[in-house]
Amino acid sequence: MRNMLKKEMKLSASILSYLFIAFGFMTMIPGYPILLGAFFTTLGIFQTFQSMRENNDTVYSALLPVQKKDVVRGRYTFVIFIEMCSFAIMVIMTLLRMTAFADAAVYRANALMNANLVFLGFALLIFGCFNSVFVGGFYKTAFYFGKPFVIHIIITFIIVFIAEALHHVPGLEAVNAFGFEHIGLQLIFLLAGVAAFILLTVLSLKRSERNFEKIDL
Amino acid sequence: MSIVEVKGLCKKYPEFTLDNVSFSLEKGRITGFIGRNGAGKTTTIKSILNLVHPDAGEVSYFGMPLAGNEAEIKTRIGYSTGSLNYYPRKKLKDLIAVTKLFYPNWNDEAARKYAELFKLDLNKTPLELSEGMKVKCNLLLAMSHGAEVLILDEPTSGLDPFSRDELLDVFLQLRDHGVAILYSTHITSDLEKCADDILYIRNGRIISFADREKFIETMGQPGETLEEIMLRSEREARDA
Repeated sequence: MRNMLKKEMKLSASILSYLFIAFGFMTMIPGYPILLGAFFTTLGIFQTFQSMRENNDTVYSALLPVQKKDVVRGRYTFVIFIEMCSFAIMVIMTLLRMTAFADAAVYRANALMNANLVFLGFALLIFGCFNSVFVGGFYKTAFYFGKPFVIHIIITFIIVFIAEALHHVPGLEAVNAFGFEHIGLQLIFLLAGVAAFILLTVLSLKRSERNFEKIDL
Repeated sequence: MSIVEVKGLCKKYPEFTLDNVSFSLEKGRITGFIGRNGAGKTTTIKSILNLVHPDAGEVSYFGMPLAGNEAEIKTRIGYSTGSLNYYPRKKLKDLIAVTKLFYPNWNDEAARKYAELFKLDLNKTPLELSEGMKVKCNLLLAMSHGAEVLILDEPTSGLDPFSRDELLDVFLQLRDHGVAILYSTHITSDLEKCADDILYIRNGRIISFADREKFIETMGQPGETLEEIMLRSEREARDA
């Protein structure tokens, strides 16, 4: 699997996949729907799928001495690696906003979603949905990715809309907690995000392995 | 014991059926795979590499079934399905550097030797190569890891006569080292030079699988070359 990841990084990856990791820093932008940082990271990963298809990577990978399911696992490993790099930036930026900038006026006056553990949970949900809808959708044919990406865009914007609207619902203001306020609630959202990410990714991986196995190359 | 065993391979497409294909490859023998375009050569080759899924049949290498041992088997065989049609803008040396990661027996010296023999500039990209040079690069990738079996789909297509002759000499050397080679071709005169066995397919069915002398004896008429045998046989089949 290490070799498949090396192959992904040296041959298949678009440089934009690496550059778009930096969208994790959008977590610091005040007055901005910061969950879109996760979306832009997936847009960078999308560029790798485009580059891979242009370069006929499926044919090359199928000729390597690996099982077909290893080709799929290599791609998922790369996708998760990029997502986790971006997520690591989001975590650091969120912790900064929860501690050093917890009382910064520019963030306190923010009408949009605050950076806290709830935000991180929703970011993981977006990554999990991307792995399920886009990556899983791609491996139905190992060629077409337009429809899966459009569906991913729609789902992401629904998630962002819900996440942004949630704290405006009377009684749910606590989800927009600053610093370590309502930390129990924040942790529940984060853990739910972790569970959703793992579940969506693992189920998608298994489905993609089965689908790719059936495809005649 | 045969090094590769293919038994009862079937694959049904709407317009074409691969029907009960069986043959075997022996150590140190070259098998020429012949048949018209669309006869089933590529489907057979892809099926025995698990690139397409046969509806029925068994494929085993080195006494192991392909199913369940694909990764191990593929490190011990070399295969190329036509031209180098991937990563057109990557330098050949970068493609080789990544590919060799997957082969524990990769031999840099052999790769260098083939690059020299084929006059391949490894600083070039596939985009800068002619079709013939792309085939040669694919062959370098297939032959530089001490493969015990080589399965090559039309490896000589696009090669000039001199390069083809050089390649046949490489095949003969590998055969002398015990490598089993299966290669499909339309240039039947090449098979007169190097093939030990002939595998002849028509409309998805194996018409004959025999050593070359026996093939000529049973399929041919006195004085006929392989090409003449094939042409007559195909005409007879068409007119029947």
